[in-house]
Amino acid sequence: MNEANVGTTDQLIVNMGPQHPSTHGVLRVALTLDGERVVSADPDIGYLHSSMEKIAERLDYRQYISYTDRFDYLGAMCNEWVFVRAVERLAGIEVTPRCEHIRLLMAELNRLASHLLYFGAMGIDTGATTVFLYCFRERELILDLFEWVSGQRLLYNFLRVGGLRNDLPDGWVEQCHAAMDALASRVDEYDTLLSENRIFIARTRGIGAITAEEALAYGFSGPCLRGCGVPYDLRRVDGYSLYPELDFEVCVEEGGDCLSRHMVRSRELRESIKIVRQVLARLPEGEVNVPVPRRLKVEPGEVYERIESPRGELGCYLVSDGSDKPWRMHWRAPSFYNLAPLDRLCRGHWMADMVAVIASTDIVLGDVDR
Amino acid sequence: MSIHTIGVIIKDWLIGLLAGWGVPVELSRLLIEVLTWAVGAALCIIAIMLAALVFIYLERKVSGYIQSRLGPTRCGPVGILQSFVDVIKLLLKEDIVPAEADRVLHTIGPILFLAVSALAYVVVPWDEGGTVAGKVDAGVGVLFMAAVGSMGLIGIVVGGWGSNNKWSLLGAIRGAAQMVSYEIPMLLALMCVVLQAETLSLAGIVEDQKGSIIAWNFLRPWMWLPVVLFLISGVAEINRTPFDIPEAESELVSGFHTEYTGMKFALFFLAEYGNLLLVALIFSVLFLGGWLSPFGYPDPLRLPGIIWLLAKSLLIVLIVMWVRWTLPRLRVDQLMGLAWKLMIPAGFVALGVMCAVIMLGWA
Amino acid sequence: MTTNTRQPQSAWALLADIVGGAASVIKGHVVTLRNWLRPKVTGQYPYRDPAKEWVPKPGYRGDFALIHDPERPGGLRCIACMACANVCPDKCIHIIGQGKGKERHPAAFDIDIGLCMYCWLCVEVCPVRAITLTPEYHNVAFTPQELIRDINDLKARGEGIAEPLLPVPIERSVLQPPTAKKKDVSEA
Ligand code: SF4
Ligand code: SF4
Repeated sequence: MNEANVGTTDQLIVNMGPQHPSTHGVLRVALTLDGERVVSADPDIGYLHSSMEKIAERLDYRQYISYTDRFDYLGAMCNEWVFVRAVERLAGIEVTPRCEHIRLLMAELNRLASHLLYFGAMGIDTGATTVFLYCFRERELILDLFEWVSGQRLLYNFLRVGGLRNDLPDGWVEQCHAAMDALASRVDEYDTLLSENRIFIARTRGIGAITAEEALAYGFSGPCLRGCGVPYDLRRVDGYSLYPELDFEVCVEEGGDCLSRHMVRSRELRESIKIVRQVLARLPEGEVNVPVPRRLKVEPGEVYERIESPRGELGCYLVSDGSDKPWRMHWRAPSFYNLAPLDRLCRGHWMADMVAVIASTDIVLGDVDR
Repeated sequence: MSIHTIGVIIKDWLIGLLAGWGVPVELSRLLIEVLTWAVGAALCIIAIMLAALVFIYLERKVSGYIQSRLGPTRCGPVGILQSFVDVIKLLLKEDIVPAEADRVLHTIGPILFLAVSALAYVVVPWDEGGTVAGKVDAGVGVLFMAAVGSMGLIGIVVGGWGSNNKWSLLGAIRGAAQMVSYEIPMLLALMCVVLQAETLSLAGIVEDQKGSIIAWNFLRPWMWLPVVLFLISGVAEINRTPFDIPEAESELVSGFHTEYTGMKFALFFLAEYGNLLLVALIFSVLFLGGWLSPFGYPDPLRLPGIIWLLAKSLLIVLIVMWVRWTLPRLRVDQLMGLAWKLMIPAGFVALGVMCAVIMLGWA
Repeated sequence: MTTNTRQPQSAWALLADIVGGAASVIKGHVVTLRNWLRPKVTGQYPYRDPAKEWVPKPGYRGDFALIHDPERPGGLRCIACMACANVCPDKCIHIIGQGKGKERHPAAFDIDIGLCMYCWLCVEVCPVRAITLTPEYHNVAFTPQELIRDINDLKARGEGIAEPLLPVPIERSVLQPPTAKKKDVSEA
């Protein structure tokens, strides 16, 4: 130890992840700690890289849909939706009203399932294990609905260019109503266990705070951005699909900290239940599929289609050269952008806050790495 | 017949036996004394292990039921053998010591942790006049318990340091800070009871509460603050959620026992549950009248005191488990803040109130 | 519970904070207690009692089956057109065809379900709707070899299945109803 070091503390460099219980998959963060204070946090991504974008170039449009499920596996319906929307726009295909309703319904149900998982993960990362299982219990109701209609619980491959794999089975709508009622009655319990719990508030208020300007500069979107007081929700901003006709509120919280992001999701759960109920009430009869050639060739051109996924702005950039395969495609994955300011969010906080910050950005590593 | 009298009978019989073999009485007395301690210690450890196994099972069931699950169901009826199977599994597992770890410290850590936990059991008054090793209490049970109890963190620090893992080290340091801090409010709460009973002997504290449930400490209004303080700091002392920051699995992987496998891990694990039982026992002794029956003294149901004691501890254990599966974890600085800014002042307030009560002659 | 993020200004505020914190904590305990008393939602797998076994809804994408057609050679509806093998993104279907024209049928038909991602595309492209996924989900094995379904296995699994399994009647899905078969083939 030299003279200059006397009286100062050594910094500790630890590897958080890739095998760490609360990095939501395989994120590695090179943490520099001073005692328990975070000096810097350097996220290292790529462990789940699966060349989703390159694979698209060798698969035709129909084959690729089942791949879109697999990067952000918690928002599979949203991923499929944005992809088929992009292809349909490029190919000039109009889908039937019933199909549009069902797609929207699926996206909102998926948002519910994803937010429920977020609640659980936030609980488990702050030490409240029980909330995790409660959320999974309710998430199961939604997954059961998905399983019934699409045959799978997580990776649905349900949407098709020009339609859906199949219509809603008889009795599905009733079960969906029942699931929404059950869920609505339980959401308050999560709030009692987390959002209203003083320990949880102490763990999250003022932690990982970011201003609206910085958040925009970093490319935040979704609940993370709305937690900074920016009312940016593509469902309202773009007003795609049927959202302009539906009555729901864009949930915004001031503060930009973990608690605000958490509260945005907590309120969005209720809003999504509202949306699902409205769509179920106005679900039109009719066909769900429009005829689409088996080997779909789209006009040369490019398109950027975006929707509001549970994690934020999910964009699909597609370039076609007129063949039956995309010439190039790119995903604008919200998790990637929401993870970017990790160092900025964690610096100066405690190591334990790091976990809360990662949980509150609700990243999915498959989505980050693609 | 209390445990103590059984001990005396066995001792006399052994002395007679040894005398028959021509061993001098002084020597045989010494031998017997050593033997008594050894047997007592062995009994303690076996009892702790058994209790820990039962509690691990109980915890899994309780957490299961709270979380809408079933908990273990496969081994034995309603899964009751699950913990035993787990222990056998842990025994059979390879004991891995990380390459760069300090082998000696790595081994000593869990042993120390368990030993300390076992040691404190020596002064628990199980029944009228009975601790495990006879009348060892000697009027300083509270002191002994407090002194030994605070040594548990040495095991944690040694184990965490010896693992040569940064997570373990962080966990160990957190554990040390936490256990030292919470010792203080705990002792302040203890002091209130000591003042009330005017004795440092745990057995004496129970004697002081003699009578039915109305005579117990927890029903005296000036004891309510100490009850809360003791329960909170007790939970903190044994590192359970919401105070489980030394092992905080979502932050520190597994804290100070990250690098432990097999039996060494089991030792940590068992000792943790042993500590849980210990805190519950001490709490029952201090505030719930120990081995006394709630229906008055002598017990109208004629049950052995140990049953009452265990029943009360079980209640406390269930409450502690319920807390664990409900609350999020505090952060390390909040934990310290809670101890130093809130609980220690509150402890002094409680002590002041207690003194006032004594001076006014209400006690 | 006090925190370092908010400092109560007065003794009363501190007291109110403590009481509020304690109340929030106790409320949480009421919730967990209520759930403690609710019926449990998990089951045991595998069940010792087959009656309690979870049966997925029809259309669940589990193990494979080939649909029978007693009038055709080989007893299967499959015409070994290779459409499914070609569309499969994982290339886990391996077929050896036999015969010409109307007589064409698969001599070997292997599906490596260890590789399969249950995307249902093979069912979707089949011009004669000869292949299906079934709700059978007990497809655990000890070796990768056991995960390869051969033609006999697939045929046995197809016992009693008339059309690809879906949660809805076939006309309400992307699968073309039987009458549209001819047009469909030409389009492809
Ligand atoms: S389900 Fe998909 S992956 Fe599996 S065999 Fe059929 S096409 Fe291939
Ligand atoms: S697509 Fe149908 S008919 Fe063609 S080979 Fe596959 S299963 Fe047989």
